[in-house]
Amino acid sequence: MAHNDDKSWSGKSRGGFLGYLIFVKLIRSFGVRVAYVLLSFVVVYFIPFAPSATCSVWKFSRIILGKGRCASFFFLYRNFYSLGRAIIDKIAVNQGKYNQYKFDFSEPEDVKRLLNSRQGVVIIGAHFGNWEVGAPFFGKYGKKMNVVMMNLEFEGIRRILELNRSLDAFNVITIEGDSLEYIFKIRDALARGEYVSLQGDRISRSEKHIQKTFMGKSASFPLGPFVIAARMNVPVVFYFAEHIGFKRYKFDFVLSSYNDVNQDKQREKFLVEEYVKVLEDRVKRYPEQWHNFYEFWDYER
Amino acid sequence: MIEPELIEKINIILAEEFEVDPDIIKPEANLMETLELDSLDLVDMVVLIEHNFGFTVRAKDFAEIKTFEDFYQFINSRMNGSQ
Repeated sequence: MAHNDDKSWSGKSRGGFLGYLIFVKLIRSFGVRVAYVLLSFVVVYFIPFAPSATCSVWKFSRIILGKGRCASFFFLYRNFYSLGRAIIDKIAVNQGKYNQYKFDFSEPEDVKRLLNSRQGVVIIGAHFGNWEVGAPFFGKYGKKMNVVMMNLEFEGIRRILELNRSLDAFNVITIEGDSLEYIFKIRDALARGEYVSLQGDRISRSEKHIQKTFMGKSASFPLGPFVIAARMNVPVVFYFAEHIGFKRYKFDFVLSSYNDVNQDKQREKFLVEEYVKVLEDRVKRYPEQWHNFYEFWDYER
Repeated sequence: MIEPELIEKINIILAEEFEVDPDIIKPEANLMETLELDSLDLVDMVVLIEHNFGFTVRAKDFAEIKTFEDFYQFINSRMNGSQ
């Protein structure tokens, strides 16, 4: 089923370069705590001036989480603050301040073995928590991380990624229009034994999708990342980086068992099912870290 | 000259994979439209070619394939190592 209405992500991410630059300088000169203080004021500005994001978080709080109006207002603030904190923390980590943070690894033995092997791995994440804060740590396994994103999104954040030196930590594979080039780049990266990271929770216009019940309501998940992962026939790991305390993150890995499914065409469906369960479990625990700011749910169903 | 056996093999594989009636596959017919392929189906196509015919496909290969005839020519030439 192709997705062709307003309930899809436009392909652009919000956030000005100047604002980002201010935070980069602030963190470099005065540290993370001062940036957090500034953030607490900036968030108040974003609530009225980012109306579509505000509306999507409000509905998430009121309809999905069942919170009242007053609680939803506080949730809105916490949610925006959580996104800002995630950005500050990834800037700080990329500036080399990672020794100021504590990182816990929830990494089962099978995942540890896999990531230490020469096997290419597809890593499926989400717009939840702060996945990018963990990207430099994949270097510990001595492999290169390839992040797949839409060209429009990449062009919008390229200057920020360059400024933040994120492109030192990972390579970007862009999806451009109808070009199939990205599929071959993914295949080649996996054949070299590298990691390929895709986000499983955001659909763009015209993208094939599948409806799943997520957090009690019907939502659309993109089929692309799951089809690609299933067809490449490599291990799939779900990965999330959750903020669990002041300057503290947990890197959370779950190995998919989709390889147990014999029928090729059923594998992507199995992967989506697994992903939805794993993601739902995390979002229920840390709802304010859900940073998918568009109308993700079909509230009429 | 393409062997008729190869054409038949390709048609059977395509019809099974993309669940279409083999009779609608004609050399002059448009491959994408006849098989109702979208970009995700092309992932299947890449895997299918590499698995069944044993050579690696590149993005630019697909740019030149419009009809089934083009597809037969492509498979045949790559199997004979002429590209």
